[in-house]
Amino acid sequence: MNLLRLNQLALMGALGLTACTSMSTATRTQTAEEQLADDQAEAGLRDHHRHQHRGGVMQFVAMSLDTLGPNDAARPQVEKLQRDLYVCMAPTGEIQRALHLTVADGVAAGAVDLAKVDGLIGQLDGAAAGVRACSVEALNQLHSALSEAERDELVEKVEAHWEIWRQVNQEDTGDRAPGGRLAALARELSLTPDQVQQAAAALHTALPARSGAFDRAQVDADVQAFAVAFRSASFDARTTSMGERSRLSSQGATRMAIFYETVAPLLTAAQRTELAGHLRNRAAQHPVVSTN
Amino acid sequence: MTRAFLKLSKGAFYVGAIVACLAATPAVAQVRIQISPPSWYIATTRPVYYEGRPSYYYGNQWHYRQGRTWHTYREEPRYLRDHRRGQRHQHDRRQYGRDHEGGYSRW
Repeated sequence: MNLLRLNQLALMGALGLTACTSMSTATRTQTAEEQLADDQAEAGLRDHHRHQHRGGVMQFVAMSLDTLGPNDAARPQVEKLQRDLYVCMAPTGEIQRALHLTVADGVAAGAVDLAKVDGLIGQLDGAAAGVRACSVEALNQLHSALSEAERDELVEKVEAHWEIWRQVNQEDTGDRAPGGRLAALARELSLTPDQVQQAAAALHTALPARSGAFDRAQVDADVQAFAVAFRSASFDARTTSMGERSRLSSQGATRMAIFYETVAPLLTAAQRTELAGHLRNRAAQHPVVSTN
Repeated sequence: MTRAFLKLSKGAFYVGAIVACLAATPAVAQVRIQISPPSWYIATTRPVYYEGRPSYYYGNQWHYRQGRTWHTYREEPRYLRDHRRGQRHQHDRRQYGRDHEGGYSRW
């Protein structure tokens, strides 16, 4: 009898302690599903900034509108202005599409047409310079349409996009670091450890040698200038620097092209075919205006 | 005697378990590290505007900025809790990348 009671006591105690532990941890843990969603969101954004180079800081502004969440009254106008910004980036989008297809053809063949790639990147620079002039009116209207809190948040998002862009296009040296471009490709194509090692060595040389000069401090200054101007009560895009001097679009596109030119010869025929297919899919992608 | 001892033990156990449980929670709070949403999260997630400022649900907590400093709500405000449990919260994330056909992205 006493043993039975002791067993009951032990059982109740164990249940109580389990409940207590559960209560303590419930507020701190993330489910596997949530973690997976976070991982996919981060990887997708990195992939995007590695491949889509349409308008530098202006593109960051347009993308920030995807998740700004403006008030209901401003929403239709904000969606229209986002569409206007992407229309201004259509010329760069077309050149970028041609670049993706050129690189895809080269990857499939095992050698990329460097002269054609360089020509397209030169065109991208010229077209990117026109994005700002085209976007002035839309930016000014956007400033008027948003509340102070929304303007502040848009600036935070632009800075967040710039940080991710910098990580994937400047700080990524082509090594095997998790979250890097080579690690993503290794997953995408199931590269062997030998292929990864060879690619890392080749990229270590090719990326710094061929990427050209990039003035990060200039972009930092431009983003800060935009932040200060857009947060203030009055804003005029005509007098605000939008990073057009820093050639973000062509710099990102150059890094992308060098990466694929360098790794293509190290891939098997089947891997090249698969990668070329992925690049062609990316060429077919176009901006989707958000429904905030 | 044995029955009285068992009753006493049972009572002491319950009191001890409750005290231990209550004491454990503040201990966790004391070592809690202040976290803030990373850049990729801010760039892909729609905030909820509450008390005039945007809040982000990250790491199972709501975070907001005051100036350049991040803060965390210790108690989840009812408005934010209702939002989190509602349908709209499911659409607060923007997915980018090559796997999202028909464009850069989709909701």
